[in-house]
Amino acid sequence: MAVDESQRTYEHPLYQHVERMPGVSVALGSIDQLLTWGSANSLWIFPMATSCCGIEFMAAAASGVDLDRMGSIPRGTPRQCDVMVVAGTITVKMAPRVKKLWEQMPEPKWCVAMGSCAISGDFYRDIYSVIPGIDTFVPVDVYVPGCPPNPEALMHGLLLLQEKIRMVREGTLTREEVRPESPPNLNRPAIGRLQDPERDPLTDEEQTDSAAGLGFGDNLNLAQIRRPRPEPELRPQVDAEPRPQVDAEPRPQVDAELRPQVDAEPQPEVDADEESAP
Amino acid sequence: MHSVTGVDPHLDIETYDPSADLMVLNLGPQHPSTHGVFRVKLYLDGEIIIKAVPYAGYLHRGVEKLCEELTFVQIIPIVDKNDYVSPMMNEQAIAMACEAMLGIEVPPRALYLRTIFAELQRLASHLLWLGTFGMDLGGALGGGATLFMYCFRERETILGLFEEVTGCRFHYNTHAVGGNRHDITPKFSCDTKTTLEVIEKRLEEYVQIFSSNRIYRARTQGIGVLDGDLANSLGITGPLARASGVDHDLRRDAPYHIYGELDVKVFTESAGDCFARTLVRLNEMYESIRIVREIIDSVPEGPILGMKPGKSPGHIKIDASQGYSCIESPRGELGTYIIGGGKSRGASAYRLKIRSPSLHAASCIPYLFPGHTVSDAVAILGTLDPIMGEVDR
Repeated sequence: MAVDESQRTYEHPLYQHVERMPGVSVALGSIDQLLTWGSANSLWIFPMATSCCGIEFMAAAASGVDLDRMGSIPRGTPRQCDVMVVAGTITVKMAPRVKKLWEQMPEPKWCVAMGSCAISGDFYRDIYSVIPGIDTFVPVDVYVPGCPPNPEALMHGLLLLQEKIRMVREGTLTREEVRPESPPNLNRPAIGRLQDPERDPLTDEEQTDSAAGLGFGDNLNLAQIRRPRPEPELRPQVDAEPRPQVDAEPRPQVDAELRPQVDAEPQPEVDADEESAP
Repeated sequence: MHSVTGVDPHLDIETYDPSADLMVLNLGPQHPSTHGVFRVKLYLDGEIIIKAVPYAGYLHRGVEKLCEELTFVQIIPIVDKNDYVSPMMNEQAIAMACEAMLGIEVPPRALYLRTIFAELQRLASHLLWLGTFGMDLGGALGGGATLFMYCFRERETILGLFEEVTGCRFHYNTHAVGGNRHDITPKFSCDTKTTLEVIEKRLEEYVQIFSSNRIYRARTQGIGVLDGDLANSLGITGPLARASGVDHDLRRDAPYHIYGELDVKVFTESAGDCFARTLVRLNEMYESIRIVREIIDSVPEGPILGMKPGKSPGHIKIDASQGYSCIESPRGELGTYIIGGGKSRGASAYRLKIRSPSLHAASCIPYLFPGHTVSDAVAILGTLDPIMGEVDR
């Protein structure tokens, strides 16, 4: 497909004259290569080290692996850095700070998610106070898996990042300009706190009921734990609408199929007791 | 040097400074010398700190709540991440609490392994503290990151030993309820002895740096004096309390593992300042080397796991009984209290409570910071050595 040169736009009107001058494109190409070489080999790192991975990051920066060899120097301030290495769990209290520090870094900037907590939240994923992966609010270029990753793995990740920077500057790879919008409730826990007016009153009930079923008897005074509800009229209305609809159709079938299985479950437990008793 | 007597940690800043002339400086939550995500709000008069308010919770991961959802076997790799500088200690604490609850005896070989791992981990943890503390003090210890590089060189050798046994540099998951998972080999004993020789030789160099450097002494002597009574009332244990004259060490006073058979020396200092804390930790490193050397050759033969592995988690029945264990971690007394869940919860706990020494160490910041300069505050925070994973949990 032929490109219509007359329709080409330039960032600055002077550029089109520069481009037509003989020999300039060769020089500009060399300068571009120089810039690529420079930016890929002087990745200054901003360590967003929160927990265990931060220790392995320190080990990578120390004498064993020595990131300084590839021009990666850890700096304490975001304003001087090119790469943010998020090492560790990011909680809902820390996430707005991480976002702010990321915005303070000058372009072009890159982000490495180090360790499974930063990638996906790992086994803290379902906890009310943990962000399930930093790519929910910061664009991530390289993921380094591990719990925590070895220093060598981090070095491999940074080498991959260098390759990515080279490819993006040469034009063989288009970097997806994903700037994820931070979720509106970024600094709020998934389950509301006790004083939170928007907390679901059903949560209170579930938690106290689960504590009551443990056989602690009279030691646990549920009346003290249960807080008085300001609007008791609201709940029956909410409950009254969906419950009969769900109950009306599937109940009889499900009961008939599941009953024998439900009865069968306690039996192995009884057997286990008999085995272990003698 | 400024006097710290007469400082009120509960100073009402609005009555002290009604016109808000004091400068407010936030140290953290992202600051290289806070050793994690920790924030201290400083009210400054010139360069002198008038009041310090610590804020925690930037690394709250709900570990105790998470452990209630999982079985006892699944808990162990998770509590590794609490005190991430000494994961072995967390594993041992949780395993000992479960054993106390279930009444399981641990075979003697596993006890020896646990003692060796604990002391090597204490050495590695103190080495990391020494390196980062040297970096906090900047030029006082030979300029920038010099000591940090040296200490990590030694720490890597210890992590190499652990990697040989468990397969991991970090978060080993080598302790189980009733014993250990991974056994040591004769090669491990040989490697350990050569490693300790190298480390001991290099420790002497570091002690020379400490004892002969006048800048270092000026920056630590008389800085951040922690009174012994205050340490007791705040629940501070470990090297911090021992540097303030509190003669308390669980390895000697309430022996666990095989510490009862050993003669553990406890080092105390009376000054209570940053210099005393450094000396106590350095002496502890020598003591750890001595203990490992003493027992590495006398490990008895035998099994390392006492309990027979169950067929499935559902077959384990645990009453609503309770167990408590406390061990001497590099930062102080690490306690774990566990309540079994009864019939309805099977092999998972109803409640798990971790008494972490770092939380108590961080609680003395409002008492120690006022009266000092900002650069001294960094030195004090470095010697307190709180680990945020343990503070927030």
